[in-house]
Amino acid sequence: MNEFFNFFHRHSKWLVFLIYVILSCVLLVKSSPYQQHVYLTSANTVASAVYGGANNVTSYFNLRQNNEDLNRRNAELQAEVIHLQQRLQDLSEKYGTDTMRLDSTVMPFRFIVAHVINNSVARPYNYLTINKGSADGVKPEWGVIDQNGVVGIVSNVGTHSARVISLLNPNFRLSCKIKGSEYFGSLVWDGNDPRMALLEELPRHTQFTPGDTIVTSGYSAVFPAGIPVGVIEDSGDHRAENFFTLHIRLLSDFTGLNNVQVVVNNLRQELKELESTDDNGETKKYPVN
Amino acid sequence: MNKTILTLFILYLVLIPVQAVVFNNLILFNVAIPIVFIYVIISLPMTIGTNVALTIGFFTGLTMDIFMDTAGMNALACTVLAFVRRPVYHLYTTPEDDAMGMMPGTRTMGTAAYLKYLFSMTLIYCLTLFSVEAFQFRNLPLMMLRMACSTAFSFIILLAVSAFVRTRKPSMHGA
Repeated sequence: MNEFFNFFHRHSKWLVFLIYVILSCVLLVKSSPYQQHVYLTSANTVASAVYGGANNVTSYFNLRQNNEDLNRRNAELQAEVIHLQQRLQDLSEKYGTDTMRLDSTVMPFRFIVAHVINNSVARPYNYLTINKGSADGVKPEWGVIDQNGVVGIVSNVGTHSARVISLLNPNFRLSCKIKGSEYFGSLVWDGNDPRMALLEELPRHTQFTPGDTIVTSGYSAVFPAGIPVGVIEDSGDHRAENFFTLHIRLLSDFTGLNNVQVVVNNLRQELKELESTDDNGETKKYPVN
Repeated sequence: MNKTILTLFILYLVLIPVQAVVFNNLILFNVAIPIVFIYVIISLPMTIGTNVALTIGFFTGLTMDIFMDTAGMNALACTVLAFVRRPVYHLYTTPEDDAMGMMPGTRTMGTAAYLKYLFSMTLIYCLTLFSVEAFQFRNLPLMMLRMACSTAFSFIILLAVSAFVRTRKPSMHGA
């Protein structure tokens, strides 16, 4: 028995080493970013306080570029509003005013404005941290966009901060289509260049020219349809395949992210509740009279 | 000894946020990332046992993982670093040097030996870290480039940090 304890005493460093290696590996292989506890992500209180403090200084660095982007976006939206008002005017003259009134239920999306307090672009799996959390109504699996396009999707939510899976993360696939056509594919980052991504699984007969804009398809409830993502740079080598893989130049500058908006889909909550009651076979949440 | 522990604790409190906020954004040509917080583990005195060093290493790495959202990657690399610390140290020094309870440094080890120790430790850390990354992400040439450039860049910054942190030489009339 003494021998037994002696053995452990003599080799205790190997034992301790093994325990810590196994612990690290458990953390490593728990692959889904949604499964992690919020304390083990940068959305926890201490980390977000450190990043928030640093962001108070660094948020001034890209103000000029940010202002230019916002101005450009503002001009685009202004043009779109004028165009839509014109169209509404034309249609209401044609059909009569009453039928054209917009109901709030057909405008399911609203936005929570947030700041990026931590960001990375050079790692194989990139995340960013924003300064809005559950206290501001942010929930996991909500989309995040900035004035230029799609940024990512919320994975873990703390009280006043949230961790976002960046578009520069192979865990995140985004359903996209070429603007003006109905052909859609799946956008994924290949891990090489923070300015580029790949649009995969695009049908072979798709018509496109380099420079065409890629927008979100709206097939998931996370992003509304038509949010810009990138422009087609060129099509890779694809002679032998049934699907195109296109190189996309991303519109969001991930190295200088600052102001972002969390996309809130009001209908999505309803959809989720409906789906969950279906799964459990429960109907008591919805009294049947 | 107590002073050394206090120095190390302050280093931990300073280097982790500085790594998260400054050095992680100081990426050269999208390949070279300076990894500076490992100075805490590199500077552990040899009088600290391997088990304690492993514990300090694991939790230092875990703290960094939380800041960087790298789930276990730095914890693993720091554990390995804490484990090889003593054998690497003894490659360049004689065993009787380590009984003083001081942080390894140019003044306690001699410049040449310390440079070799610092470089070996940096290389081992980058090797482990980028090997784990290579498992997740198969672009081997890019990973090799990142590893080499990060080792070189980290080594330079670590030299600057160790020049900044005073390592005291054992004096006859006490510290």
